[in-house]
Amino acid sequence: MEAAFYIAAIVAIVSTVLTITRSNAVHALLYLIVSLLAVAVVFYAMGAPLVAALEVIIYAGAIMVLFVFVVMMLNLGKRAAITEGQWMQGNIWLGPVLLSAVLVAEVLYLILRARLTESAGGVVDPKQVGLALYGPYLIGVELSSMLLLGALVGACHLGRPVLEKAEGRYDRNSDGARAHSGGNLIRAGARRAPNAP
Amino acid sequence: MRRNLIFILMSIEIMLNGTGVAFVAAGSRWGQPDGQIMFLFILAMAAAEVSVGLALVLRLYHLHHNLDADAANEMRG
Amino acid sequence: MVPDFEGAMTSPYPIAAIAGILIMVLSLAALLIWVERRLLALWQDRYGPNRVGPFGLLQVVADMIKIFAKEDWLPPFADKAVFIIAPAIIMVTVLLSFAVVPFSPGIIVVDLNIALLFFLGMSSLGVYSIVLAGWASDSKYSLLGGLRAAAQMISYEVFMSLSLMGVVLLAGSFRLSAIVEAQKRLWFIVPQFLGFVLFLIAGVAEARRSPFDLPEAEAELVAGFHSEYSGMKFGMFFVGEYLGVILISSMITVLFFGGWLGPWLPPIVWFLIKMFAFICFFILLRASLPRLRFDQLMSWGWKVMLPLALLNLIVTGAVVVAWR
Repeated sequence: MEAAFYIAAIVAIVSTVLTITRSNAVHALLYLIVSLLAVAVVFYAMGAPLVAALEVIIYAGAIMVLFVFVVMMLNLGKRAAITEGQWMQGNIWLGPVLLSAVLVAEVLYLILRARLTESAGGVVDPKQVGLALYGPYLIGVELSSMLLLGALVGACHLGRPVLEKAEGRYDRNSDGARAHSGGNLIRAGARRAPNAP
Repeated sequence: MRRNLIFILMSIEIMLNGTGVAFVAAGSRWGQPDGQIMFLFILAMAAAEVSVGLALVLRLYHLHHNLDADAANEMRG
Repeated sequence: MVPDFEGAMTSPYPIAAIAGILIMVLSLAALLIWVERRLLALWQDRYGPNRVGPFGLLQVVADMIKIFAKEDWLPPFADKAVFIIAPAIIMVTVLLSFAVVPFSPGIIVVDLNIALLFFLGMSSLGVYSIVLAGWASDSKYSLLGGLRAAAQMISYEVFMSLSLMGVVLLAGSFRLSAIVEAQKRLWFIVPQFLGFVLFLIAGVAEARRSPFDLPEAEAELVAGFHSEYSGMKFGMFFVGEYLGVILISSMITVLFFGGWLGPWLPPIVWFLIKMFAFICFFILLRASLPRLRFDQLMSWGWKVMLPLALLNLIVTGAVVVAWR
């Protein structure tokens, strides 16, 4: 299990670095999915099977599909990847990278110097998590349900007018005539004929 | 430099996931379920954030026809 | 530190179990190609493939030779890496799911304590195969197929998981062997009938079978997500679909029909009989139902199935609490 933990952790770090350096959105998303799966393995190795499963089901299986869905819907193509590549150039990122490298070195030094304490707990059973979740943390569950409801309403509200506007745009062309004709397709053009230039 | 809204949202996911790993690791260190519960809340929050965020991205794309975060700087104030 | 994945049922010879289940499942999937064509023909008053070998059984072999010998064309406009990975994902996720299915005591690769969640996770990862195939093909029809698949899978995944939670409440475990053992007195089809119906519908949608085969809808999308695929890559989607049917049928058997439990016959035979009945039901569905429209599919999922799944969960929970 130790080996599985370290391998998965390295995979997670490498794929995350690859995620934030890609210029093609779908490739970046693929690396992010790999990173999430690696984190799930890390969770499993740390004795948290429920969270590992939820990481796969919800994070990798639902949230990331939503991302892929939106990227596919926008269908940006090669031009966007080139633009993204141009934005990536320049040495703006040099400062943050150097500063975080210092922090990483510090963390590594601390880890290597400190005497590693053995993990106290074994596996935390899904049942234990469930009991604690609906016991002392009940108010948190209620609050997150409120949050999700708010997000649902917000997403619906944000999504709706765009669709109507898009439909309206296409309405002006062929479909409009069909709509005004009351379904009578044979006379569909007749009403518009006098106004036609 | 990242100006693409999709990449910004993805990076937020990475950061949220990082905090999640920290919580679960801490919970596993003491053998308590609390860390996992915090991760569950993070999960719910991430789902909410992504759904609203992506809806906003779609909206902005329909308005400006690109995903540049700097394109949406029309607010006066 | 090491999580418990050594259940009581895990096979003592894991390599033999893996090899045996792999061979059994893959040959069943190949056989299904023939079974489906024959049964469809039967229900549509035709003959079906009956020329190659006895009852046309060797048609499977002929098809395999054909598919292996075909040119494996990589479209020059496709995103090559993703195009190649996509068909592999569906095979890997479906075959991994079979690792937790308890065919009978001893014939199971690993008796995981979160087996049900593992199955749900793998089935939610299977979506990527379709979605990425649609994106990587870089053709309009494939992209539409991929978009449909993504929306359909996200919607039907939700109540698929919710419909199973009633079973988990009754059995008190995510472990599939424990769920089967809990059905010794009464199969879960009786107390969880609503959950069964919901899971069946969601399962058909997850396996992308008719009437939910919108992502590939050959009539409107020219085979949708796999219209650019040929040769063995197409074969992997094809076999992956049949593997998905077998997987959903065996999960229905395990979760609602008492898995290997049954009198007289050996357990594995009972399992196969039940599983095969559901496979035939899937084929009958394809023979008899027209394809749904996409907006019908979405509103059906969110406005009818999801509330029903929540209702099922609430009622089951209340009954379980009252029982104690």
